[in-house]
Amino acid sequence: MNSLAVEPGSTVAYPTGDWRNQRPVYRDKWPPCGQTCPAEEDIQVWLGLASDRQWEAAWRALTERNPLPAVMGRVCYHPCERACNRTHLDGPVNIHGVERHLGDLALEHGWRHHLLTEQPQTQQVAVVGTGPAGLSCAFQLARRGYPVTLFDARSTPGGTLSSGIPGYRLPKSVLQGEIDAILALGIQLKLNTRIGVEIGADTLREEFAAVFLAVGALQPRTYPDDGYGGHSVMTGVDFLRRINDGERLSLPKHVAVIGGGNTAIDAARCARRLGAEVTVVCPQDPHGSHGGHPGAEMPASLDEVIQAEAEGVRLRYRVGVRRLVRSGAHLSGVEIARVDQIHDRHGRFNPVLFEGTEEFLPAGLAVFAIGQEVDWRGLEALVEPRASSVFIGGDAAGQPRFAATAVGSGYQAAMSIIAFLTGAPSQYRHHDKAEVTFRDIKPQYYPKQVRREGELMVASPGGFSERVAGLDGDAALVEAGRCLSCGVCFACDNCWHFCPDAAVIKQMGGYRIDYDYCKGCGICAAECPCGHIDMEREAG
Amino acid sequence: MDTRDTFRHNVLTSGHRACSGCGEAMAARMVVDLIGPDAIYVNATGCLQVFTTHNQQSAWQAPWIHSVFANAAAVASGVEAALRARGKDTPVVVQAGDGGTFDIGLQCLSGMIERGHDVLFVCYDNEAYMNTGVQRSSSTPHAVRTTTTPPGRLSEGKHHLKKDLISIIAAHQMPYAATATVAYFPDLKAKVEKAMRIKGPRFLHVLSPCPLGWDHDAALSVTVARLAVETGLFPLIEMEYGAVTGVMRLARQRPVEEYLKLQGRFKHLFADKEGAAEIRHLQALADANIRRYGLLDARTEWDTDRAVQAQRQGRGGYAVSPKETSL
Repeated sequence: MNSLAVEPGSTVAYPTGDWRNQRPVYRDKWPPCGQTCPAEEDIQVWLGLASDRQWEAAWRALTERNPLPAVMGRVCYHPCERACNRTHLDGPVNIHGVERHLGDLALEHGWRHHLLTEQPQTQQVAVVGTGPAGLSCAFQLARRGYPVTLFDARSTPGGTLSSGIPGYRLPKSVLQGEIDAILALGIQLKLNTRIGVEIGADTLREEFAAVFLAVGALQPRTYPDDGYGGHSVMTGVDFLRRINDGERLSLPKHVAVIGGGNTAIDAARCARRLGAEVTVVCPQDPHGSHGGHPGAEMPASLDEVIQAEAEGVRLRYRVGVRRLVRSGAHLSGVEIARVDQIHDRHGRFNPVLFEGTEEFLPAGLAVFAIGQEVDWRGLEALVEPRASSVFIGGDAAGQPRFAATAVGSGYQAAMSIIAFLTGAPSQYRHHDKAEVTFRDIKPQYYPKQVRREGELMVASPGGFSERVAGLDGDAALVEAGRCLSCGVCFACDNCWHFCPDAAVIKQMGGYRIDYDYCKGCGICAAECPCGHIDMEREAG
Repeated sequence: MDTRDTFRHNVLTSGHRACSGCGEAMAARMVVDLIGPDAIYVNATGCLQVFTTHNQQSAWQAPWIHSVFANAAAVASGVEAALRARGKDTPVVVQAGDGGTFDIGLQCLSGMIERGHDVLFVCYDNEAYMNTGVQRSSSTPHAVRTTTTPPGRLSEGKHHLKKDLISIIAAHQMPYAATATVAYFPDLKAKVEKAMRIKGPRFLHVLSPCPLGWDHDAALSVTVARLAVETGLFPLIEMEYGAVTGVMRLARQRPVEEYLKLQGRFKHLFADKEGAAEIRHLQALADANIRRYGLLDARTEWDTDRAVQAQRQGRGGYAVSPKETSL
């Protein structure tokens, strides 16, 4: 190269950075999916890895917070997808489809969870309940070297995942596979062990340095009036538990399911599969009638409702049960009426019926799925008053009662338990970075791409086989690639190409801004597809 | 020697005196890094020459020569002939603004092409004489405000149309001529690389927004260039021996107002009835371009959506050969 034209006297000796009155700053933000995920998964990270075909790395990133991806990919109501910024472009990323694909890959290839530490701890922890909260907590503790014992009153692990969710949504083998992978971390499992019966609550508190109660909310709420009880009346929880335990209930021709939640829809779809004509008596309005306002719309997941209707379940909205109609001991039907008010002014569920709108709904069986409460019997010694070594999570800790919330709660509990045992501050960090809205996204850089859905399989009458197929590898790859990567750099090179001043320097693992020369034009921020670059006023 | 970046040469490096958000600096940096430092760059007078060579300092990390305004193509002809005489095939590249191409340099450019010199001529078109204070050139579009075409009671900005330079170039029956902008890097890259593979005279016309002269926000240089293409006002085409051989299809046509309203040089068009009539004229010009080049129905996979698609780990950058670590 001819050096005369270049040296000496390069303009590099003339820093133009002092022309600037604003400066670009690279800043990672929290995409809305991760922000809304009840399990606080770093969704954008594992979607990014999946789009690079790094399937196992993606699974490992995902299981940092959620050890049950194959389960959650099937049963979670994916609030992440409702928050997804891609909705405003062409439809949300099928996050649950990719999650399920990763979970299924792990089961297929037998990927094992890794311990985070080689050093075993000595303090024993008891986790009561093997639902999503208990499993999540036990998983996080065991990865960090704590000896964990899991207790469950039932003969199969999984809690509500096993007793409350029908096989057509979650095959038992998938649940068992992910539980086995968690237990393989060296967790002791004690089934058929009810606290207060097989083992005393006091014993538990004395033998274990910490106790995590994730006992769920399995006590069905009932109407106070005795007139609603008796023959041919069941609770949704019991109904589902019996079916999930393999019992082939023989049902009357007509079944009425009372309630608007997911338990009600699950019960209705199960009854439908057993050959009954099913009507759901839902006190709330259908989806979409109040713009998603909680309380006014039915709490059941929309996907489930759509599938239920496709299977022939009838839904009656904004009606409540006035009384059960019996001929002798036998149930002949329920009298329903339109509901005026659902919640009273204190926000409590307290429906008021319109007089004069009564209607007779024939039913040989009424299934009440109107809510569940926590059953504290046998645990009083632990919770009244609560000892400092006792932690409560999952459905037992309160609303909302979603499986993913329980997983997140289990993670938080594990962090709290470690903080309690070590005396150090909790390592739990809530997402505190700025959120990215669609206004920060530059849609022109993301051409439209149709969302891939898992196929609906034909529902065989009476069959409890899985209803929705997973995404295949190609579709999962496309879906992961549809992620906008909101607020997180994906190395598209735009800032580097467009900088007129050679002030954006590309280096291994990203870019840096050379503020000696940056004139602060803001092109990098204006053309950053994902909103990773902020412009800040210069001080002074 | 600036070696801060291991992924591009920075043939045009930092410290130059271009305005904040300069589209021409952006365009030139892309083009010269795609060509690399092993070339001889001949510059016409213009912004690019002024802001890169200032006060005994040069922003060029490659051989670079400037003579006078009109003769860049003639100088390049001589450089190319001299290299040929010495048996060398070092690429020769001319860089000029629209003044040095459309107006003052046109005669030398025409001669260079007609004689068949193996030179790439790149015109960075910012549609007026920006460096001397925004005077109109023959590249300035219709209805634009410049300091020599001020809008007012008797005028809606420049009366005449933008010169159809690419047709003049094409009339020379030359091997390769193309238009490009800063907004579509993969497209610009493909065109520069194609031009560098062809022997003989080649011409590249790069639209380069000017935040000062066009009076738009410095952050919007890329956006404005993208809208110039998406409205149809600046068609992206390739020509070989006078025939159109490639166009970038528009995924959708945007109304010209979207392009005009971002720029102060068109602000007077939004003030009154006469301005509204001029907007209709500009829309008609855009529609005529779209019909002429078939921008909406060209049978090509390459369209304005595809060309901007952001990809993980970049879209392919610059050819980087091992750098000299010491001089």
